[in-house]
Amino acid sequence: MSTIDGLIKNGAFSRIEIELAVGEQPVRLIFGTTGFIEWLNTLLQGAEPEHRLGDTTPAEQVDQLFYAFVSGKPLNYLRQFRFIRAEKNAIWELKTPDVRIFGWFLQRDCFVGVFGNWADHVKDHDLYRGYRIAIRRLRRELDVEDNLCVKGTSPSDVISI
Amino acid sequence: MTSFQFDVGSRARKAGRFIGRVRSELLKALSERKAKEGLTQQALATKLGVHRSLINRQLSGESNLTLRSLADLAWAMDMELNFELRERTATFGQNESATTSTISHGQIRFINGRNDAGSDKAVHTPSYPEPNAER
Repeated sequence: MSTIDGLIKNGAFSRIEIELAVGEQPVRLIFGTTGFIEWLNTLLQGAEPEHRLGDTTPAEQVDQLFYAFVSGKPLNYLRQFRFIRAEKNAIWELKTPDVRIFGWFLQRDCFVGVFGNWADHVKDHDLYRGYRIAIRRLRRELDVEDNLCVKGTSPSDVISI
Repeated sequence: MTSFQFDVGSRARKAGRFIGRVRSELLKALSERKAKEGLTQQALATKLGVHRSLINRQLSGESNLTLRSLADLAWAMDMELNFELRERTATFGQNESATTSTISHGQIRFINGRNDAGSDKAVHTPSYPEPNAER
C-alpha cells in the first residue's frame, strides 16, 4: 500500500514549502510532481500569460494562494478551489485570476499539484477533460486511488474550513 | 528532491499577500452582510453606480482595487476601514527569514539588513567602485 512518505522517497512528488509569517505553522500540506514543480519554477523566473488579469504577478498570486492554503486560512469555494467533475476520487482545481492548478487531495488538507497552466489557456482550449484523464492515469500508476485519495466532493471533505 | 521552496522573494510576497488579504476581508464582509441583510453584489453595484461585473472582477482579483474603490466598497457595505503600518518586532526565539527580493523587481540590495543588532547587520557589499575612488 502506498504511503505519502514512500511516494516522496520514490520521487513521485515533493513537498512544496512556502514562507509563513512569524508564529505560523503549516496546518495544510501541498505536494507537487516533478513536472508541476518545473512549471512553478517558470513562474519564479517571471513567466506571464499573454493578457494578465490580476493586479499581482502570477507568482505572487500562487504564493498568496499557497500561503492561504498552508497557513490554514479560509478558502473561498468556487473562487479559489473546486472539483472538475462530481465523481468518486474527484480531480480538483486551485484557482487564481491568471492561474489554474490541477491535482487531487491525498487526504483532507493535503493537496498534490500535477498540472499548472494559464487560466485563459485552459478555458480557451478546454483542457479540463485532458488534465482529468491524465491525473486519473497517474493515480492508477502510483496505486493511490484506494488509500490516498479523498472520495467526497464536498468542500469540507477536502479542506477544513 | 524531497522538498521545494516556492520563494517569490520578500517584496513580492509582501505585495501579493497584502492584496490577497484585503480581498479576503472584502469577501468575508460581503458574505457576512449577505447572510445578515441579504446584501448582494448587484445591490452594491447599484449603490455605487457601477456594473455588477466590475464589483465581481474587483473581488476576484481580475480588476485593480484602488484605495478609492476600496473605500467605496466599504462605504457601500456600511463598514469602517482600518489601516495601519506597524514596525516589525522580533521576539525571542523566532526564526528570521532571508529578506532578499529575487523576482521581477530588479537588483537585490539587502540581505537581512536590520540595523538594531550588530550580528544582524547587512552583509551586502557593493560590487561596483566607490564614486571618486580613482581620483
